[in-house]
Amino acid sequence: MKKLIYAILSLDDNPDRRIAIPPEITGIPGDKLHLIRQGGIAAVAGNTNGDAVDTVRKAALQYAGIIENLSFHFTLLPVRFGSVMESEDAVTRMLEKNATAILANLQKVDNRFEFGLKIFCDSEKLSAFLVNKTDPAASTNDPPPTDLPPSVYRDYVNKKLKAHRLEEMMLAYVDSVIAVITSKVSALTSISRFTKMASTSNLIDAVFLLEKEKKDELVVTIAGLMEEHPMLTFMLTGPWPPYNFVDLNIK
Amino acid sequence: MNDNVIDRSKDITILEVLDRVLNKGVILTGDLVISVADIDLVYLGVKLMLSSVETMEQLKAGKKAE
Repeated sequence: MKKLIYAILSLDDNPDRRIAIPPEITGIPGDKLHLIRQGGIAAVAGNTNGDAVDTVRKAALQYAGIIENLSFHFTLLPVRFGSVMESEDAVTRMLEKNATAILANLQKVDNRFEFGLKIFCDSEKLSAFLVNKTDPAASTNDPPPTDLPPSVYRDYVNKKLKAHRLEEMMLAYVDSVIAVITSKVSALTSISRFTKMASTSNLIDAVFLLEKEKKDELVVTIAGLMEEHPMLTFMLTGPWPPYNFVDLNIK
Repeated sequence: MNDNVIDRSKDITILEVLDRVLNKGVILTGDLVISVADIDLVYLGVKLMLSSVETMEQLKAGKKAE
């Protein structure tokens, strides 16, 4: 029977050494989940007939919900949606072959959850603000006075130069915000990842790995940042299973 | 809390869930069996930290009242 894998977890590192999946947590079709164990680690699996797993909303989100529920009971590594292995033996071999890397990842995320922080802005307003702050005279759309005759090429170069300078200003601003966030969050965790300028409106996409008990401290920290940056919109989510802190590509 | 904020947050939250479950986590290369027939981005609501957003609102309101 093929196995749909939900997560890989540690049996040794769980304080109460739970070795059974709570019966209320069932698989996508409602079937019973089971552990395929190998040493101190195990894969949480459900049976599947091998058909493609539909990425309909219900299935994908149900899969996410199952991993979330499991994360409240175990230290785990979430597995990407739709991962199917040929048999229980294949899963056991995979665990055995990759035990060292799996244990290293489990140790990194032990008793920690992921929190996400997205920072949005009105890019036009922020651009105008940054230009005005740097050089108030440059905030007008008028070209600089010149005695030279009109030139479409010069206009093009000036336009490109202006766009490049604006991009540099935006990046410098994003770096300054990241530096502030890093300094303030450093007391809670040293494990974080930042993506700059994911889109024109999404200035920063950050994830933090920290102990769940520190959630309230993180919220207070982010609330303080919100007050310091009224032009930005903050969205904090979590606690998540540690999706972004798993560095494991098993072949 | 402003309803628009909640609605917008709900949409983003769905994307947050799907981004993680489809793009992150342990990769079992070669064993992925997914049909991409339909991805329906409709709200599930498992994840938004509403309580924390409310906490932020309370903090802001408390500071203004001081």
